[in-house]
Amino acid sequence: MGFGQFLTEPEFKLIIVTHRDVFQNTAQENSRFGEQYAERSSVIRLDKDDMKKMGVKAGDLVVAKNASGRVVLKAESSTLEQSHPGTAFMINGPWANALVAADTGGTGVPAFKNIEVMLSRSKGEKVTSLAELI
Amino acid sequence: MAFAVDLLARKLSIEDCPPLKEEKYRSGYEKLNDLITPVGNVTETGFLVHEDKCIGCGNCVVACPVNVVGDPEGTGSGRAPSNDKVILYIKDGIVRPVNIHECRRFGPNKTLCYACIDTCPTKAIEFV
Amino acid sequence: MDKGPFVCTGCALLCDDITVDLQDNRVIGVNTACLKGVSRMKGCSSPMTCTVDGKTVDVDTAIKEAARILEEAKHPLIFGHGNSTLEAQKKSIELARELGAHIDDTSSFCQGPLVEAILNEKIPTCTLDEVRHMADVIVFWGADPSHSHPRHLSMYSYFPRGKQRQRGWEEDRTAVIIDVRRSDTAAVCGDKLYEIPVGADPEFMDALLNALASKVPKTSFNMDPKRILELANILKKAEFGVVFAGLGMTYSLDSLEPLFRLMDKLNETAKFHLIPMVGQYNMRGFDHTLFRETGHINRVYFGGEEVEHGPQRSVVELIRNNIIDAAMIIGSDPLASLPGPLAKKLSKIPLITIDPCENLTSRISKVTIPSALSGVECGGTAIRMDGVEVVLKQIIETNRLTDEKIIARIMEEI
Repeated sequence: MGFGQFLTEPEFKLIIVTHRDVFQNTAQENSRFGEQYAERSSVIRLDKDDMKKMGVKAGDLVVAKNASGRVVLKAESSTLEQSHPGTAFMINGPWANALVAADTGGTGVPAFKNIEVMLSRSKGEKVTSLAELI
Repeated sequence: MAFAVDLLARKLSIEDCPPLKEEKYRSGYEKLNDLITPVGNVTETGFLVHEDKCIGCGNCVVACPVNVVGDPEGTGSGRAPSNDKVILYIKDGIVRPVNIHECRRFGPNKTLCYACIDTCPTKAIEFV
Repeated sequence: MDKGPFVCTGCALLCDDITVDLQDNRVIGVNTACLKGVSRMKGCSSPMTCTVDGKTVDVDTAIKEAARILEEAKHPLIFGHGNSTLEAQKKSIELARELGAHIDDTSSFCQGPLVEAILNEKIPTCTLDEVRHMADVIVFWGADPSHSHPRHLSMYSYFPRGKQRQRGWEEDRTAVIIDVRRSDTAAVCGDKLYEIPVGADPEFMDALLNALASKVPKTSFNMDPKRILELANILKKAEFGVVFAGLGMTYSLDSLEPLFRLMDKLNETAKFHLIPMVGQYNMRGFDHTLFRETGHINRVYFGGEEVEHGPQRSVVELIRNNIIDAAMIIGSDPLASLPGPLAKKLSKIPLITIDPCENLTSRISKVTIPSALSGVECGGTAIRMDGVEVVLKQIIETNRLTDEKIIARIMEEI
């Protein structure tokens, strides 16, 4: 048993912006329960400098949490050329939605594309499964 | 150099250079083989579709100048092909080449046309 | 047998030039549709079965149980509708009236505000065919059609030759992208890409407004005023301009006022229209139908003395405030699309799911009733993202009932 597991991982504040993805959508049309749908929906794409700062490499698992929920995601580096520190991207789906607040300030429209979370490295957990989400 | 050009133009294959198969050139042979391998399903012009990247949006089909001239009412206007003069069409969500000898990149008067590459949002097309 | 062309119901573009290859009453090949459309038309790999409490039953039993649940509920909700025909949507509204139920659709947390503004004639709009034939300046704002509506650019908005746009996109059309990132759409027509911070859309609208009035446009994110002035110049000179508004824009606007101001200003000098990038194939259809019947596009309660409407009647607020005590979901998967905390709440009340395919919501539903896949297993009509009505044709036979028929049968039981 290492000492490390008793230390809390440092947390970083990020905004998650969600977007559509035709491959995930295609997978969804085939089955909501397929591997491809889950794999694509549970990836978080981070700014390259943010990754360095957090000590996260592509393929590492990270925990994203806020008052609404907590999910374990796979971190990948951003596909965008321009840097976007403090902002991360996810494909719209149940994993991202787990972090969206129910409170809409009375408008009835949740903030699906502007989700504030704390992100930290995961310690030996698995990516959250669809079954855990429902 | 002439060999390299012919190799890229697909007039010759790696197998046409027997010394490459000798043991001492093995690493070179393997490297070349890797470079040329995607060519398995490539047309004579070197037109290659990465099927895992293609989303079937049809941008290339509609932008292709050969399609526009040959099928102005169909593909040229953004719709399904209306005749058999097209050289690109979408089947099962992936772009397919046909009659590729009509492509501007084919034959003695070939030009370097980029219409299908420049209009692809997912970089699914290349000429190899 | 009808050889087509058929209509793809993969998204609200409703592409109507699709042909198919059939074998043993199955769609095995699809021509001209995009990847996502092909996946839709070939049918899913996890079709829903007819169940009550997880046990397989015949359709009659499931329909009777659904009717019982709805009848016993004090505040039932009928929700979904984006993947149903106009005929089914009409029946659904009829059922909601009869039950004194709440009714809402996905536009409630999607493009509802823009569809409403268009129906109330607060924003000028046009058809996609007009865009193909005439549009010279095309603005994609908070939208990435390459992923959401893959044939958008090739069929209508950018690449096709049109009656007044004969020379091709390089000469005839200018595309502008306003987004928080360089999307894949920006990669093909993005020499006019304006990257703005998350949520800065209303501020950018006001900056553009200043630029259009030849004032120096300042932004808190320090975008070069010259670039904004350059954009204003492009927009001003448009012969036929169109803004395709994506969810990126809609979610950033607490109020539509900045958008109204911008559209008004643009129309002082140019001709500018707006089309909302509607996702589900007939979401706009539901909004039109309910609007015609009640004057509201969504979020309606039929249980009061008069028809009630407002954000407190939205699916989100109804669940959040524990108002509803049963829900019937038609062609939608709220458990996947709602915020997690609301999905958890929704799963606590008795649910009825009507859908061709299994989904997250159906897995926890008390009653599941499989329905015919519209545009493939049954016909009907639908309204495209631009408001044009499109006729769907049946391609293959099925013994599954249509949404319309299922709702009608439930009504008979009540």
